[in-house]
Amino acid sequence: MERSRIMEDLNLIYIRQMAQSLQDTDFQKKIDHEVRMREGACKLLAACTQRQQALEAAKSLLTCNNRIMAYMSTVQRMKEAQLMQRKVRRSSDAGLLKDRSPCKGKVAISDLRIPLMWKDTDYFKNRGDFHRYAVFALLKIGCDIYDTDMVLVDCTMSDICFENAFVFSSVGPDFEMRMELYSCCVEEDFSISSAPRKLASKLSSSMGRSAGKKVRGSVDGPGESAMDNDGSSSLLFLPAAVTGPKYHLLAHTNLSLPAIHSSFWTHSLRTVGNESCCFWLPLYGSVCCQLAAQPLCMTQQIISSFLNLQQRVGERQSWTRMFCVLLGTNLFCYYSPEEVEAKVDPAFTIAINKETRIRAMEKDTRTRGNSLTITNLCAGEEVTHTLVAESVEQMYQWMEAFWQHFCDMSAWKQCCEELMKIETASPRKLPVPISTGVSLYHQTAIDSPGDDVSVWLAQSVGGDAGLVCPPWYVLFENSPKTVCRHVAAFSDDSAAVTSTAKTWDVPDFSKTDSGKPLPRGRTLSLDSKLTTVRCQEQRGDGGQVCTLSSDDSGEDIASPSPIKPFPQPALEQSHRRNVPSKLSPRNWLQTPV
Amino acid sequence: MAFVAGQPVTAVVQRIEIRKLRHGDNLILGFSIGGGIDQDPAQNPYSEDKTDKGIYVTRVSEGGPAEVAGLQIGDKIMQVNGWDMTMVTHDQARKRLTKKNEDVVRLLVTRKSLQQAIRQSLH
Repeated sequence: MERSRIMEDLNLIYIRQMAQSLQDTDFQKKIDHEVRMREGACKLLAACTQRQQALEAAKSLLTCNNRIMAYMSTVQRMKEAQLMQRKVRRSSDAGLLKDRSPCKGKVAISDLRIPLMWKDTDYFKNRGDFHRYAVFALLKIGCDIYDTDMVLVDCTMSDICFENAFVFSSVGPDFEMRMELYSCCVEEDFSISSAPRKLASKLSSSMGRSAGKKVRGSVDGPGESAMDNDGSSSLLFLPAAVTGPKYHLLAHTNLSLPAIHSSFWTHSLRTVGNESCCFWLPLYGSVCCQLAAQPLCMTQQIISSFLNLQQRVGERQSWTRMFCVLLGTNLFCYYSPEEVEAKVDPAFTIAINKETRIRAMEKDTRTRGNSLTITNLCAGEEVTHTLVAESVEQMYQWMEAFWQHFCDMSAWKQCCEELMKIETASPRKLPVPISTGVSLYHQTAIDSPGDDVSVWLAQSVGGDAGLVCPPWYVLFENSPKTVCRHVAAFSDDSAAVTSTAKTWDVPDFSKTDSGKPLPRGRTLSLDSKLTTVRCQEQRGDGGQVCTLSSDDSGEDIASPSPIKPFPQPALEQSHRRNVPSKLSPRNWLQTPV
Repeated sequence: MAFVAGQPVTAVVQRIEIRKLRHGDNLILGFSIGGGIDQDPAQNPYSEDKTDKGIYVTRVSEGGPAEVAGLQIGDKIMQVNGWDMTMVTHDQARKRLTKKNEDVVRLLVTRKSLQQAIRQSLH
């Protein structure tokens, strides 16, 4: 124990000295901050009694360790680079080589979802040991490390969802984002893990085999489980006195520029360990998330000044002095700089993209000299615009800006086609009308008279021409969008929304006059959370009204009780809480074409 | 214009051919669209059935190519150059209309007045 403490202190002293010698106060502050956070987390871990607190403290400890490691390696690299540069300068008086480096940008990741693949034996053959796991993810780009909130996962959940969104700023196009998933088995009775080892092993041998393995795993001291941990260096940092919950690396993946798309995308995940590990979760093997990037060349004005635009009207040529702004994939031409601030539409727009060709000509006899020609391919034809600068220097400034812009666009590739949106506000919460206590596999049973609600409605509502909508449809007035949104968020491909969208269409009641049953449309037996509403038929004499109840109320299936307006107000309330953003006018987009 | 899921759609349509107008580097059609499967259909002022997630024409610029070709506000676009528009997202619809290598778009649109006209002529 003493040795590890001494190693710890030595490491920290070394790093502090290096940071000081680099004269980088920024790093010094960051390292100090993390070290203090780490000490706080250790103390909290030793002192806390509640399981939730211990899990959170262990998570912050792991995050701090990772951050310190990242700072250490960065500081080391910077120090090396400094030494190398000094050597190079001494050996050759190399002139200033102007090599272009692409601009930086912001990278945002949000809506992380990791599907799980539970076996049916987990449900039907469980011997009463109900395992829960605490899971969180670390996202790293260089020195920036973000941790998601911790989520408790058990066999009733089909996915691990992280609601957080993170924005990494000042990232180059050659970035590599490493995503690491950590998990820790949480026993119902936490006191077992903190008991001395002998007692724990005695207890574990008297429990079921898998439960015992898991208990033993969570009690392992730092020395033995160091091999499971990510990087042996974390051994140095973990004080030996820590007996709290221990997280292990479950899976990891690397994401870089080709992984960026403007919509949800699925990436593969590499899992570590196997079934016999205590922290193992049956991952499907992929992670779905939204990764977007905003390079600076798309969000910031590159260059702006007055230029003369040549316009050809018939045979005559005329010159108009316009205020031109280069931004993103366009060159906007305004009549005056005030128009830019007023956010008025530009008088003229020239596209600037990978296919654009730009030439500069000094002292051109045809034009007034110092001209720039911009050629684009438009529907198979070449369209050329000529702009004349007011001086040679200005022309070179513009050319320089264009070259840098092209360099940026070729480095950031697909991110420069269209500006991707990055939401800085907190992500909208997915409306989950059913509480998480509901298990996936127990709710698919749907009562007679058959699982097709539309058929049932046709038969019961048949002669009543006045009834346009079934009473329970009120419940769905607000929800079709939420349900569809819900599904949209859980599917990789936005096209999947089309298949589920159909199920919520109101059946056409005009066809029920003949009394014949409606043609069999899609049933309501969707999977997962959507199936937890069931139609309860009232077998009374008069009223044939359907009541809807969700199963978390624990209601009896064949209850003969009278019509209950039950969860309608509660569900509607939760809908209202979660849905307001969806009803705002901006959600019915109109686009000019 | 409401349809039952899983059943074929029948509608009376009109063919409208719009020649895009070149405005600088852009090819414009002169109308705006609303709707899509990712949009909230209850806010569509032009649809009869408020669960219809189709693409509707929400605005037609005066004197623009769309108005000249006979497109009217409130029309529901069923097809564009052979591509279906009844089950697309808003952005997919926009992309199918604004393809840079197409000068002409041939739309199949439907509107209430067409249905009524056909019904009247049959009775």
